[in-house]
Amino acid sequence: MDKTILRVQNLTAHYGPVQVLHDINLNIAEGEIVSLLGANGAGKTTLLNCICGLHTATTGRVEWNDQDITLLPAERVVRLGMAHVPERRQIFSTLSVEDNLWLGASYRLSKVSRKEILREMDEIYQRFPILAQRKWQLGGTLSGGQQQMLAIGRALLSRPKLLLLDEPSLGLAPLIAKEILQIVQQIRSEWKTTILLVEQNARAALAISDRAYVLSTGTVMLEGTAAEIARDSRVQSAYLGEAHTKL
Amino acid sequence: MRSIVKKLGIGFIFYLLLVIIFPFLLSNEYYLSVGIVIGLHAIVTVGLCLLMGLAGQISIGQAAFWGIGAYTSAVLSTKYGLPPAIGLLASAIIPGIFAFLLARAIAGLQGYYLAMATLAFGYIVQIGLTEWESVTGGANGMISIPKLQYFGDSELSMYYLIWAVVTCVLIFSLNILKSRVGRAFRAIHKSEIAATTMGIDVRQAKLGAFVLSGMFAGISGGLYAHYMGILDPQPFGLHESIKFITMVVVGGMTSIWGALVGTVLIDSINEMLILLSEYIPGLQGDVDTIVFGAILVFIIMFMPEGLVPRCRAFYEKVKAKKRKAAGSQQAERKTVA
Repeated sequence: MDKTILRVQNLTAHYGPVQVLHDINLNIAEGEIVSLLGANGAGKTTLLNCICGLHTATTGRVEWNDQDITLLPAERVVRLGMAHVPERRQIFSTLSVEDNLWLGASYRLSKVSRKEILREMDEIYQRFPILAQRKWQLGGTLSGGQQQMLAIGRALLSRPKLLLLDEPSLGLAPLIAKEILQIVQQIRSEWKTTILLVEQNARAALAISDRAYVLSTGTVMLEGTAAEIARDSRVQSAYLGEAHTKL
Repeated sequence: MRSIVKKLGIGFIFYLLLVIIFPFLLSNEYYLSVGIVIGLHAIVTVGLCLLMGLAGQISIGQAAFWGIGAYTSAVLSTKYGLPPAIGLLASAIIPGIFAFLLARAIAGLQGYYLAMATLAFGYIVQIGLTEWESVTGGANGMISIPKLQYFGDSELSMYYLIWAVVTCVLIFSLNILKSRVGRAFRAIHKSEIAATTMGIDVRQAKLGAFVLSGMFAGISGGLYAHYMGILDPQPFGLHESIKFITMVVVGGMTSIWGALVGTVLIDSINEMLILLSEYIPGLQGDVDTIVFGAILVFIIMFMPEGLVPRCRAFYEKVKAKKRKAAGSQQAERKTVA
């Protein structure tokens, strides 16, 4: 069994008086791709925000390599090696592609030389050639798929051990969405990055994941290996549709 | 020489030449003092440009930092007899501390709320300057503040001193633009959440922007006090703050050069109004407020990005057209051949 790098224990969270997460438990081992599935409003994004420090949990703990990070602010969590690609990508639309990437490396600039970061940036450009072509274009002028690649590339420049991806396929054409998920898989194999993936498209997510959690109205309804989850009848009827059962 | 030109850019060399020869183009000694005042304003607006245009934090109380800087140096050198150099140093530090405390208190605010808070700060400072009579001299103000005499006593030497400071502030700000700090400022302008997920401490970046712009305004205030020789609280109110914002917006918020161009433009218009009021008797009182208001509305309606970015975009367009024309001519020539 690989080492657990992220552990969420009995986590609850509120927005004002409304309880959004009930007693969530979740573990991620080094090198895994874990997907977090669930309908709209199930609490996927909130859970992600609690993990990375953008939202403060009411009770419960978030542990990173056995260190309690529940109350650590988001900008400090990044320094530990956890990169968050937020929902809707959050590209800096008035900054160039290159500047967007530099921002990804911001906190490391005091420790690593510019040369080293430029070399890493070249790696990113090789991985996403389209970004190299558009280096000096403003982030906002990229297409949805390119913006997603930029957001992922930017996150990779913080050299994360764990990458949190919030609905990377949101608003993308099916083919592009598929390409993005393939990229996610390659990132794991090339960079040895552990990945927590939030997805609406359950089938595509399960195809690349090792394990999955299914959230329903703020509780973990189901957890298991990707294959188990894909076979579960409740998941099939709720998220995968009839067509899948017939196949 | 060539590498220096390349590094600073041809525009910067042009700016330097213009600043150096400006005093020799004048027929009237009075306009030298206008040049000095423009320089003083430019130091404030470049700082305001970093805060508003880059970091996206609005401040309608910038004249307050200007005033704090002016009074700090004036009080230290007049009442306590300290040399003006120490007064000037303090006029950078004390407003910086005020900016830090203000920003700490209101860092959580955004948009209109931030604007209201800085507006209130501006009023409080102006009232404070007026009412703290034992130190500031109240509404009567202060007199016989020592002049700066580093390069002699002349107006011309003051002009070069002030514009040397403007140039330093400009170089500093242009460098910040391309640095890690500048990128962080632009990032929190666009989206605080996204900036946080990049590991940027949003609060710290905001504090930094406020302190920097407060310090610039303070330095300018200190120089202003020693240049004028007299001080009263009247110029450090809302009217002046709005004028600073107008300068930055007219020139183009996102451009440091824009702040400079806007300052020159607005101050020149101000001088023209004064000149005109000698010939048109009705043109007295707060006419400038109406004119600046109209300019602000005009700019926001027809070129919200401001003069400098608009001109730059126009220049790029013309260049692209020329290139295209040259390209098609070449193609024609080829087909003919």
